[in-house]
Amino acid sequence: MTAATPLLVVEGVDAAPAANAAPVLRGVSFTIAPGTCVALVGASGSGKTSLLRTIAGAVAPAAGRVLVEDRDLVTLTGGARRQARARIATVAQRHDLVEQLRVDKNVMAGALGRWTTFHALRFLIHARSEELDEARVALDAVGLADKVARPTAALSGGEQQRVAIARALVQAPALLLADEPVASLDPANAIAILELLTCLARARGMALLVSLHQPDLAARFADRVLEVGGGRVVERERTGA
Amino acid sequence: MTPTLQLLGSFFPPDMSMSYLLALLPLVSETLALVVGAITLAYAAGIVLALAVAVRLRGAALLVNALALVRAIPDLTLAILCVIAFGLGPGAGLIALFVYYTAATAKMFADLLVTAPRRPVEALEATGAGRLAVALYGLLPLTGQSLLTYGAFALECALRSSVIVGAVGGGGIGGELVGSLAGFDFRHATTQILLLVLVIAALDRAVAWLREHPRWLALLLPAGLIAAAAYLPRTFALHHALQTIGDMVPPTLDAAALAALPGLAWETIWMAGVGTVVAAVAGLLGAVLASHRLMPWGVRFPVRRLLELLRTIPEVVWGLVLVVIVGIGPLAGAAALALHSLGSLGRLFANELDAAPAGPQDAIVQAGGGRPAMLCYATIPLSLPAMAAHLLFRFDWNLRMATVLGLIGAGGIGQALYQAQQLFFYRQVLAYVLVTGVLVLVTDRISARLRRRLNNPRPAAHHCLDDVAGLAT
Repeated sequence: MTAATPLLVVEGVDAAPAANAAPVLRGVSFTIAPGTCVALVGASGSGKTSLLRTIAGAVAPAAGRVLVEDRDLVTLTGGARRQARARIATVAQRHDLVEQLRVDKNVMAGALGRWTTFHALRFLIHARSEELDEARVALDAVGLADKVARPTAALSGGEQQRVAIARALVQAPALLLADEPVASLDPANAIAILELLTCLARARGMALLVSLHQPDLAARFADRVLEVGGGRVVERERTGA
Repeated sequence: MTPTLQLLGSFFPPDMSMSYLLALLPLVSETLALVVGAITLAYAAGIVLALAVAVRLRGAALLVNALALVRAIPDLTLAILCVIAFGLGPGAGLIALFVYYTAATAKMFADLLVTAPRRPVEALEATGAGRLAVALYGLLPLTGQSLLTYGAFALECALRSSVIVGAVGGGGIGGELVGSLAGFDFRHATTQILLLVLVIAALDRAVAWLREHPRWLALLLPAGLIAAAAYLPRTFALHHALQTIGDMVPPTLDAAALAALPGLAWETIWMAGVGTVVAAVAGLLGAVLASHRLMPWGVRFPVRRLLELLRTIPEVVWGLVLVVIVGIGPLAGAAALALHSLGSLGRLFANELDAAPAGPQDAIVQAGGGRPAMLCYATIPLSLPAMAAHLLFRFDWNLRMATVLGLIGAGGIGQALYQAQQLFFYRQVLAYVLVTGVLVLVTDRISARLRRRLNNPRPAAHHCLDDVAGLAT
């Protein structure tokens, strides 16, 4: 990669599953340029989720630092931290939607980082048509335009995954983190979701860091593949095209 | 035996004349209004406090934990303090119920919100959403159903508490009942008890229905606000209240009272212990007879109704009647606790027996064991940890109630407290309040530790439910 300024810089990071837990990964360093799709491959428990949560700012790194657009979340507080977090969107494998809320509310939750609290409250009670349009556009991009007013619990697993991606699109981030987004999906759905993620990332210039179980899917969809194992992260050389 | 039977006979027949029933109607409606008003306010305050804890507002957790200490003060004691501060009448009762249930709901709601599913909440935080937005879009919708369920429970137990509050001058039908019994007007007392049981049973059904249709709880909001506005104390005698509080410090017990203290504490603990153990032994038998899995309809139906009846009558009402029949003293208190607890433990135990996993039980039957063998070697051992947890909660609760029963002459610290208040010995009142608080708090901690050691596999929120169920039953 020859990109001038990397979007994400991971520098000597020790990543742990929780704030006071022992690190599962040590001395992790890599960078990602804007608009690149990178896969993170490794067995269950190898530390993929811990690394992604550390990058997302959910857990502070035990050592080292993470920079997204030159900003280190650990050093930021209050509104500045929230603004910086809003530049990073996360899509998890499942169970990260609030099933008690309708689809449009879940999708527009992506905008909470830029809305005031009053705006957030008002949208729950009364949604304006332009806001619903924004939700519809995001859902259209993931192929669910007709589900805008459905109860979230009534959607299938694959559909819920798409709603989570639509929420990430509303957030309009610079970096999209996807933690095993296809782990609970059948093969056809898995390929469809990965195609969607990579296409959207490339079309919108977002960097994508996606963790996967399956090396073949990683090789097929990602520009670069990082292997996680034995407490380390190493870049795999691309063989073939 | 004959005098006891004669005494019992004097409770019957109850006065069911229309004119008397109509005369009681305002008292019943006052009781209901007090309860709905107090719970509406407590629920609103509780949810605000709990949200403050959940969004990690600085100092909020400390505040709620400090408030939780209020729960260590039995509702009777709180009611007495409120009557002192606000004067006789429903206003004092409303404030007492409000304070007690704000403390209870704030702690409960905070526990619930904190144990909400983490993933959706983290996903919202990751969007850069502020703390209130995370509460609005995550915490509240995720836990709404449970919040409503517990709110409905609180309503039910507040109605039971209102009898106690009324008994010390906090308004409602409780005061009338104590008056009737004190004046040996037993037939009218029976009418009041029947009416009370009817109201509690009706509310029981209403709450069960509301748990299925929680949206209708919204209707309670305007009703509660109107009731609260109508009954909030008009006169808050600030000067008098401050003077009274001033009279309470420093808490003092003279030498004689101090010497009697261990005996009084023991009487209270004895009452709670005996009442709980008797209820547990009888409750296990009742649970086997009430079990869906073990008994045919013909047996379990009447047993379940009997347990329900025992549970519906509040401990204080059992106590009032038993004091008349077996005489003043801790025996009446223990018997009152045992009768009410039998009803609630019997039902809870039966639920646990029915919820025991089928596999091990079937295995015993497959191996040729009969029902008694299955019961002894599978069903009861499987449900034992859960039943022990219920038992410990019940003991906690009964210890609180044992101090309350002192009011009606069952002895113990509660009686000493009530007498000190009647004689305006306020320094003694505060001393007894503090001793009661410490006693309740210490058993609370011990039982919490024991429960943890039982290694009950159910999540924290369920314990929370038990806590409320304990309050409600």
